[in-house]
Amino acid sequence: MTQSPFRSRPMALLFLSPLILLTALFFYWPVAEAIRWSFFLEQPFGGESTFVGFANFRRVLSDPEFWKSLKLTGIFMVTASVPAVLVPLMLAMAADRGLRTSRIARNVLVWPKGVAGASIGVIFGFIFNPFVGILTPLNQLWPGIWSPGTDGVDAFITLIVANLWNGIPFNFVILLAGLQALPDTYAKAAALDGAGPWRQALDIRLPLLAPQLFFVLVLEFTESIINAFGLIDTMTRGGPGGATTLLVYKIYADGFKGYDLSGASTQTVLLMIFVLLIAAAQFLLMERRVKYER
Amino acid sequence: MIETRTSFDRICMGILWLGILFILAPLWIALMTASHSAVDVMRSGLAWYPGPHLVENVIRVFTDTRIPVQMFNSLVVALMTAVGICILSFCTAFALVFLNLRFGWLVFATIFGTILLPVDIRVVPTYQVMSNIMEPFAALGLPVSQISLVNTHIGLALPAIAHGTGTFMLRQFFRTVPMDLARAARMDGAGALRFMWDVLLPLSRPALAALFVLMFLGGWTNYLWPLVASSTADMQTAVVGLARLATDGDSRAPDFPLMMAAASTVSLIPLTLIAVLQRFLVRGMALTEK
Repeated sequence: MTQSPFRSRPMALLFLSPLILLTALFFYWPVAEAIRWSFFLEQPFGGESTFVGFANFRRVLSDPEFWKSLKLTGIFMVTASVPAVLVPLMLAMAADRGLRTSRIARNVLVWPKGVAGASIGVIFGFIFNPFVGILTPLNQLWPGIWSPGTDGVDAFITLIVANLWNGIPFNFVILLAGLQALPDTYAKAAALDGAGPWRQALDIRLPLLAPQLFFVLVLEFTESIINAFGLIDTMTRGGPGGATTLLVYKIYADGFKGYDLSGASTQTVLLMIFVLLIAAAQFLLMERRVKYER
Repeated sequence: MIETRTSFDRICMGILWLGILFILAPLWIALMTASHSAVDVMRSGLAWYPGPHLVENVIRVFTDTRIPVQMFNSLVVALMTAVGICILSFCTAFALVFLNLRFGWLVFATIFGTILLPVDIRVVPTYQVMSNIMEPFAALGLPVSQISLVNTHIGLALPAIAHGTGTFMLRQFFRTVPMDLARAARMDGAGALRFMWDVLLPLSRPALAALFVLMFLGGWTNYLWPLVASSTADMQTAVVGLARLATDGDSRAPDFPLMMAAASTVSLIPLTLIAVLQRFLVRGMALTEK
C-alpha cells in the first residue's frame, strides 16, 4: 500500500485518544483489576482487602465445581460450535446455487440476528417444555423420555439447538460471501473435466472455502460460550444439578449472587486465559493447514 | 451450463426450505401462542394456529409489565452504542490509515485486543469499574470524587462502545479506498480534515450504514451486561425485562401467552429493521471478515 500524503500528529492524537481512553478504562483497567483481585481476598461489602498470594487460585483450582464447569464449557464449545458451523455451511452451499428459493433464504436466515439469545431462550424454553411443548406427545408415549428439567443431556440439547438458531446468520453470511467470491472459472474447468455438482462442491468449493471456515470456527468457539449465558439464564438456570453451569454462568452466580468477588475474579482470570489459549491453539493448529492463496 | 444438475438442485432446495422452516418455526409458534389464552395453552400445549386473544395479550404486555419503558431503554442504549461506535471508529480508523503514525500498529493492536475478550467474559471486574469510573484516576493520585455509572443509559452502552470491531471493520474498508484519492485531494490543496469530511465520509456512507445496523442490533440484543449493570426494573433493557418476566414468576403457573406476546413485542423493532435494511446488515457482517 502506498503512503498517505497526510501527516498530522496533533490531529491523530485528537482522533485516537477518545477510543484509546475508553478501551483503557473499560477494557484494560477491568482486566488488570481482575488479575489484581485474584491475588487479594476482598470483603463482600467493602472494607479491607488483604493480599493472599496464590491462595485464591489454590482455592478455585481445588474446587471440583470449577473443574466441572470448565469441562462443561469445553464440551459446549465443541458440541455447540460444530453444528453452528456445519449447518450454515450446508445452507450457504445450497444458497450459492442461485435457485429461486435462495433469495427468500438469504433474507430469512439473517433474522435471528435481531432476536437476542435471551429472547429466543424464553421461546425455546417454552417450545421444549416437557408438559406443554412440542415434544409433549413423545412424553405421552414414553413417559419421562424428554425432561430437560431433570435430565442434564436433554437440557444440554436445548441449549445447543437454541445456540444453532442464533448462530446461523453470521456464519451463513460469511460462508456465502466466501463462496460467491470464488471465481467461476474453477467450476467451469471442473465441469469440462466431467465433475458433477457433488464432486465440485466437495473437491473444489469446500477446500477453497477453508479460510472462511477457519475464521467462522475461531469466532464461533468464543461466541458460543458468550451466547450461552443468555440461553442458560432463561432456559436451564445452570441446572439440572449443575449440568449446564458453564463457567460464564458460574462466574455470574458467584460474583453477583454469592458476593464472592475474589473467587469470581480468579475464575474470570482463568476463563480469560482459557479463551486466549483456545484462540492461540486454533491459530497454531489450523492456520498451517489452511491455504490462503487462491 | 454443461451438466444436468436437477437432483443436486432439488436437494439444495430441500436444505434451504428446512433452514427457513427452522428459523421461522419458533417465531411462528411464539406469535401463535401469544394469540391464545393462558388456560388454553396450559390445557392443549403450544399453538400452531391463530387464536382470538392476540390484541388482549399485547395490551397486557403494555399495561401489566415494564416492557414499554424497557423498550425505550433498549432504543436509547442501542442508538448510543451505534452512534458512539460509528463516530469513534470512523475517527480512529481514519487516523490509523491516513495519518501516517509511527506507532499506528501499536495503537491498532491495543484496540484490536478488545475483540479477544468480550465484556461477557470479564463482567465482574467491568461492573466494579463502572461502579466507580474515577478509580483509575484516583489510583494515579488525582483528587477526584467517586462517580458510578451503574444503572444509567450511558453505563449500559459504554462497554460496547469501548470495543474494537467497528474500528477493525472501517480500517479494512479504508484500506480498499485508493490512496490516489487522498493524493489528488492533497494536490488540490485539501488538508486531512477536508479530505476526511468531503471525500472519505461520502465514500464510507454504505460501510457506516452497515456498521450502524450491526451495532444497533448488538446493542438491542445484549444480555449479560445490561442484566448486571441495571439495578432497577425501569433501567433494564427490554431483553432483560423479558427474561425476568419469564423466570421470576416461579410462584404462579407460568403465563406462556403473556411471555410469548412480550417476546414478539421485544423482537419486533430489530426484526423490522432487519427485514428493511437487510442489504446493509449482510454487507456489515461480510465486512467483519475481510
